[in-house]
Amino acid sequence: MLAVKAFATAVLKDSGIGSRRSALSRRVAPGLARLLAGALLVVGLLGETPSNAASNKVRITNLSDVGFGTIANLNVDAVQSQSVCVYADTNTSGYNVTGIGAGPGGAFQLSSGAASMSFDVLWSSSPGQNSGTQLTPNVPLTGQVSSGTHQTCSNGPATTASLVVVLRSIALSSAAAGTYNGTLTLVIGPE
Amino acid sequence: MDIARYLRLSALCVAGLLASSAAEAATQGSLGATSTGSISIGASVPNRVQISGLSDVSFANQDPATAALSAQNICVWSNTSTKGYNVTASGSGTANAFTLANGALTTPYTVEWAQTSGQSSGTALATGTALTGQKSTATNALCASGPSSTASLIVKMSTASLQTMQAATTYTGTLTLVVAPE
Repeated sequence: MLAVKAFATAVLKDSGIGSRRSALSRRVAPGLARLLAGALLVVGLLGETPSNAASNKVRITNLSDVGFGTIANLNVDAVQSQSVCVYADTNTSGYNVTGIGAGPGGAFQLSSGAASMSFDVLWSSSPGQNSGTQLTPNVPLTGQVSSGTHQTCSNGPATTASLVVVLRSIALSSAAAGTYNGTLTLVIGPE
Repeated sequence: MDIARYLRLSALCVAGLLASSAAEAATQGSLGATSTGSISIGASVPNRVQISGLSDVSFANQDPATAALSAQNICVWSNTSTKGYNVTASGSGTANAFTLANGALTTPYTVEWAQTSGQSSGTALATGTALTGQKSTATNALCASGPSSTASLIVKMSTASLQTMQAATTYTGTLTLVVAPE
């Protein structure tokens, strides 16, 4: 990286305009040439070429609401999965994801009046999955890598990760009858 | 534009906006040092009940001079807001009568129900008629956690019934219980 900066500085200094440039150039030309040569040598030794640095910015899109409808069988898990777009402009395309529910302390909880029902959130860094790593509320799941090449996946892969919401049978069979609602917030951070 | 047409168009526009807002509740993240998105989650749990923990009843070598009684603790779970339910019993005799039979030989029995466990008497059931207003204390559909049983099923044979039975003869029958949410 130091070599790249030296190279850029040398070029900028060589782009001046005006009559003073010739005299100045004559005085500094040998030094510039040496600097340029040295910079190129270091670049060559490092095997690197000048490139744009990663911005360390991330983005999550393509999220959809989850509607389970009326759950007829309370003795089996109810599962809803969706493929989403996570873009990570980092050196490794790495990111972490944190889930926050609407229950106390960010718990993954739906409510129906005074009644509540817990749910699980699973995450996979591949799209099209029905299972993944279980998220703990407010705790980042680290070490995820995105294959996204565009911040909204409008080109390259259309989706890069899977979000899975699960209502466990033990929660369903313990819940009072009613209509339950809640929210899930997902925070993506760069890695 | 006449007033009726204007009102129709306005109603359609409002309906369209409402439908759009409901479908677009999820929020997408923006590009930044962190990115936050959110979704809403909805589910509806219908009224459900479950009866479990039932055991067969057997009266073996019953003395006709002594009334027979079998009481068992069972689990009834209801997920309604009141945990309420009703129970309907039916036998395998003629017109679903509570009778035991061996060929043409029959003898009656009675069925009682209590909404608490550990009881040896309760409310008499009539075949095909729901006993309403029952409440469960179950917190798990199979009573695997919380109370292990919530109700009592009592089957009785009177001495009069026993004395009509033929000795050394096995009488059998089936009792069906249907539980419904309230």
